[in-house]
This record gives sequence, structure tokens and C-alpha cells, in this order.
Amino acid sequence: MIEFKSVNKWFGDLHVLKDINLAVAKGEVVVVCGPSGSGKSTLIRCINRLEPIQNGELVVDDMAVHDRKTSMTLLRAEIGFVFQSFNLYPHMTALENVTLAPMKVRGMPRGKARQLGLQILERVGLGDRGASYPEQLSGGQQQRVAIARGLCMHPKIMLFDEPTSALDPEMINEVLDVMRDLAGGGMTMIVVTHEMGFAREVANRVVFMDVGQIMETASPEAFFTKPQTRRGKAFLSKILRH
Amino acid sequence: MWGYYFNELIHSLPFFLKGLWMTAAVSGLSLIAGTVIGFVLGILRSGGNKWLKTVIGAWVDLVRGTPFLVQVFIVFFILPEAGIQLEAFPAAALALTNMGACFICEIVAGGLSAVPNGQREAACASGLSRIQQLRYIVLPQAMRTILPPLVGQYVLIIKDSSVVSAIGVVDVTRVGWLTVQRIPEGIMVFGLVGILYFTICYPLIQLSIRLEKRMTIVTTRL
Repeated sequence: MIEFKSVNKWFGDLHVLKDINLAVAKGEVVVVCGPSGSGKSTLIRCINRLEPIQNGELVVDDMAVHDRKTSMTLLRAEIGFVFQSFNLYPHMTALENVTLAPMKVRGMPRGKARQLGLQILERVGLGDRGASYPEQLSGGQQQRVAIARGLCMHPKIMLFDEPTSALDPEMINEVLDVMRDLAGGGMTMIVVTHEMGFAREVANRVVFMDVGQIMETASPEAFFTKPQTRRGKAFLSKILRH
Repeated sequence: MWGYYFNELIHSLPFFLKGLWMTAAVSGLSLIAGTVIGFVLGILRSGGNKWLKTVIGAWVDLVRGTPFLVQVFIVFFILPEAGIQLEAFPAAALALTNMGACFICEIVAGGLSAVPNGQREAACASGLSRIQQLRYIVLPQAMRTILPPLVGQYVLIIKDSSVVSAIGVVDVTRVGWLTVQRIPEGIMVFGLVGILYFTICYPLIQLSIRLEKRMTIVTTRL
């Protein structure tokens, strides 16, 4: 479904992704973890070309993302992206947020989009908040609307960039529950997160990154009980202390 | 004597109102055309094309950095040497539109850049095209920042339109100059000119203040 082949990326002189080789199969849930600045967010932002790569090949759903000639509009419609800071449109209600793309990108009629939007909002536990503006919702609710916004396009892949990092602790679980439900339904997911409990429970694979490189790839059980690299051990010792 | 001049001034009122109509016409036309062109320039200026940004930026800086009177003279007296002969009114409207568009371009570009980048990213990640991102997500949010200074710019355009009297457009300022030769009471004549400008500018000033207050409330809530 997603394949990185010797991918390199620079921000100016800063080499942020170094020779990345990674394949994600359909229906797989991959958690990407690592210290700040390791390139985790940059990695997933390359998948829908929010960040372009300079070197290597990146193929998503049989489309060459690395090729500048590839039109990303249709591919992005197949990939849902959930941001750390939600990025809901503040001038639109929750329902308008989730129905905009189905109407304008897929050409769905307004009535049908509305029905779909309410159904998806219901699925994330916000069926009664469609008329609310983002400022009227809590952080956890906003992030669930953001997930619903991605799901309304019936994506093949969902990408999550630290979806709970900006939330108060009491709101984290309501978002993780929605993500668990998605994973259980067979969605292909790549999740950048520090929520190791979630990774242990839901992920098929954990990818540990540091200084722009993939240091380790293993099953959650193998990574959490027997990390193979010194950096992996150091990272886990810090993160699991909390 | 003062009473006599005052009566003469009252009898000249229709002449002043004609001049006010000319001021409204040249300002109104320039305001509308300047807004359309200014928005286009502002959108292009805040886009990704470096060449366009540079060219538009250079033109805007040139226009904003030179006196409007000089620009009016160039359009009316210098362009004919290049084969472009314009009557006073079209020349005035062209110069005022150009000046207005340049200032509005900066207001629009500033408003667009104030929209958080995350909004563009979310719209882009949903599959919306650049035009759709601008239309549905970026511009509606930018308008909150753009509207108050835009309305303020309209007030400036109306006041700056007084300069076009220098090339013979019979606007309310020119009527004032012509009248003061008959009624040599400057404070009375130009007081009336000022009042007439104020009547069309004041509602816009109040609108700009209200929009600014509303904008402050909205950003506080966000």
C-alpha cells in the first residue's frame, strides 16, 4: 500500500530523512515513535506530499508520489490526515467541516453529504454536535471531528500525526477509542504517537526512528520487551518511566 | 458682507453637489476596480510563484513610494507621449485605481498570510485544489483581517481623489477652487468642501471601527 525506497529529504542543509526503506501493507497498523526531531512527522507528511522528497521513491496506492507530475488531488482524497493541532476550519460547523471535501472533491450532492457527515459524526460519538463550531468543542471533541473529516472521504489510508499530544490527559482516551475502533475495522493506519499503551494494544508493527533514520522495526511485543538498538533502549527507558 | 457671501454659497450648492457627484463617481469607480485588481494582485503576491511576487512587489512599492499627484501627472501628461491619450476623467480613474489596487494588494496579502498554515495544510490534505482552498478556507478567514483596513483604505481613496482636480476634473475640490474666486471667504468655501467630503467618508469610518471591534471579539474567542 505504501512503500518508501531509499527516500531522502532535506530542509535546506538539514538532512531530515536518511535512506528510508519502509513498506506498509493494506490493513496494517504501524506506530512510528522516536524522540523529538527524529523525522517521524516528516515521514508521514511525505506520504501525501505535504512535504516533497528530494531523493528515492515513494509509492502510495500504486501512485508515484515522488514524481512531480503525479497529480496529488485524487490521491489525497484517499488518504485521511489527522493533525496534532486538529486544524478544523473555525468558520464552519462540525458538520460543514466534515462534508466540505465530499461535496467539493468527490462532487457528492449536499443532502447525501450531510447524511454521510451525520453518520460519521455519530460513529465518533458526536452525532449531536454537528451544528457546533470548533470553538464550542473540547480538544478531544475537536480531534474526533478531525478524524471524522478524514473518514468522510472513505479513505484507504489514515495518517495520524501525534493526534493526542495537544490534548489534556482526560481527553486522550476518547480519541484513542475511535482510533482503536478504526484499527479493528481493518483500516491501514500509520500513527506517530508517544502513546505506547495504544501501540502495544493495536499496532501490528512499531517503527522506531532517530536522527532521520529508521533504527528498528519490530512487533510491539518485541520492541517493548527486547529493543535491539542502544537508542531504542534509551528511548523506551525514558518514555516508559512516566 | 459675510451674510452676502453666505447667501452666494447657498446659491452655489447645486454646483457643489455636482462636484460631489463627480468625486463619488471617480472614487466609486476606482474603489470597485481597485478592489478587484487589488485582490487579484494580493492573491498572486502571497502565492508560490517567486517571479510574480517580485514583479508585483516592485510595482506596488513604486506606486506606494511616490506621490499620487506625480502619478496623476504621468498618466495625464506623459502617457500621451507614448500614444495613450486619455481625457481627464478616465486618466483620473486610472491613476486612482492603480494607487488603490496597490494599497489593497498589501492589505489582502497581509490578511492571507495571517491565516494559519495549518488551515491550508488541512484543506490540501483533504484533496481540495488550490483554488478551492482559497475560496472555501483561506479567503473567508482572511476577510476578517482584511475588512477593517480595506474600508479604511476606501476612505483614503475618496480623500486622495481630491488630487485629480489638478488635471481639470471638476470634483468637489475643484468646485471649491472655482467658487473661492467669486466668494473670497476661504474658510467658508473650503469648510463646505470639507463637510461634503466628511458626509461620504464618515459612514465608512464608522463601518471600519465597527468591523475592527468585531474582529477583536472574534480573535479573542478563537
